[in-house]
Amino acid sequence: MINYLWQLKSNRGIVFSLAFCLLFLGSCSNKNTSETPKKMAIVISTLNNPWFVFLADNAAAKAKELGYETKIFDSQNNTALESDHFENALVSGYNAILFNPTDAEGSVVNVQKAKAAGVPVFCMDREVNSADAATSQILSDSYSGCVSLAKYFVKQMKKKGNYVELLGLVGDNNTWARSQGFHSVVDNYAGLKMVAQQSADFDRNKAMDVLESIMQAHPNIDAVFCGNDAMAMGAYQALAAAGKADKVKVFGFDGAADVIDAIKDGKIAATGMQFPKVMAQTAAIYADQYLKGKKDFPQKLPVAVELVTKENIEDYAAFGKKE
Amino acid sequence: MPHSEKKNNLTIKYLLGVGVVLFLGYHSVYFKKLDEVKNVANKKFDAAAYAQKFFTSTLTPQLANASGIQELIQLLTISKDQAFEKYAHATAVGSIKYFLVKGTGTITAINEDEVNLQVGNQSLTLATEFIYGNAIRDATGLFDITTFTNTTDINNVSAELNKIVKNKVIPPFRAKDKVGDNVVFTGVMELNSARLNLDNIEVIPVSIQ
Repeated sequence: MINYLWQLKSNRGIVFSLAFCLLFLGSCSNKNTSETPKKMAIVISTLNNPWFVFLADNAAAKAKELGYETKIFDSQNNTALESDHFENALVSGYNAILFNPTDAEGSVVNVQKAKAAGVPVFCMDREVNSADAATSQILSDSYSGCVSLAKYFVKQMKKKGNYVELLGLVGDNNTWARSQGFHSVVDNYAGLKMVAQQSADFDRNKAMDVLESIMQAHPNIDAVFCGNDAMAMGAYQALAAAGKADKVKVFGFDGAADVIDAIKDGKIAATGMQFPKVMAQTAAIYADQYLKGKKDFPQKLPVAVELVTKENIEDYAAFGKKE
Repeated sequence: MPHSEKKNNLTIKYLLGVGVVLFLGYHSVYFKKLDEVKNVANKKFDAAAYAQKFFTSTLTPQLANASGIQELIQLLTISKDQAFEKYAHATAVGSIKYFLVKGTGTITAINEDEVNLQVGNQSLTLATEFIYGNAIRDATGLFDITTFTNTTDINNVSAELNKIVKNKVIPPFRAKDKVGDNVVFTGVMELNSARLNLDNIEVIPVSIQ
């Protein structure tokens, strides 16, 4: 080792020359970068759900409007694929990543990798369990949205009855934020009894299968609370097939198009309206501001969720308010 | 160079090498007591204590600055944007906002979950059962979300503030409320700026006399 250091010292001139060349090349590279259009990568947990397609499209549209090239990457709910997308984005020279994580824990390493490479990450809708990996996390206030939903649930149920809860992906913080918000209200009423709580992975078909199975053990249920609208529609299908759709109230969360129609038709009791456009646009604007020099962003920025019922359904459209 | 001198130089080089390795090794590894690490990891945010302090030191002194509810509703009718701009607060981005309001009214009906009041020509309800959400936390505009990194902590502050009202403010009021009683109240109300509905005003009381 000493000999190696000694040799380096004796070749100091060569080392300095190399360093100078590298710096020169680096400055050339920076000059080229400033001339080429800047790019934002949009990495989305899954494009197999219209809600996330809407989120991705709005993020891309806003980034383009701000003068960036964009590319949407579909992680297919797979953290390994998500990791590949991050590698590709970093190697391909993307300047910022607008990110909808697959897993609150499993996605942290990808965000940290980008941060280490000097590429800011702005989380949309779903969070990662790290206080400083992402530059900012713009998230639906799922907990508070489900508090509002639960108040309506308790009133509709007149404080009594048996219900089932269908949870989303267990690795996603939104699943638990929604469940906790709901239970922070409902658990105060002894007359409301949860007869089953099971995950259906935010998936419509799985929700239908899970509820069919639950109803075999618990045929007398009065309501189903679902962690998203896809599961609410799956639950409704299971109830309709069992001839119970008119007797059992179904509650969802998201504000998807089919649930908005279902609330109008009296098939679904209520949903929590999220605003993916607000989250996507805010993430793109924050990324643009970051790249232009601003460095001070709130670590968590909640976006309000609104209760949608048959009483106010005329004010809302899919994924937001009526324009 | 004599052999002994060459040997001495080699020894110095080896000593320097060992010194560098020890220096780098020492500064590469840090030792901490396991108890200290566990204490930091287990140090949980005390939402109940935070809420109590917020209620006493931040919210209560602000009650004197609450907007008169009749005047506020009048302003909302005439100039909604101005009323929201001047008096509304919210931690979350969106059109749901919260106001700190006060008034004096007469009880017109007592229901299981709320009390109806007539305040001048404005009828409203005082919530006594469904004390949930972020209205109490956000209405003053003094809750600073940037000091929090954990979403659960932010939510728990609301839940604990709601508990204070539910357990300490509501029971003494419900124990003696009667139709026809005059009530002086200060509280919080939620309105949606995009879909303003002034027909069903609900106030969560923070103080009732």
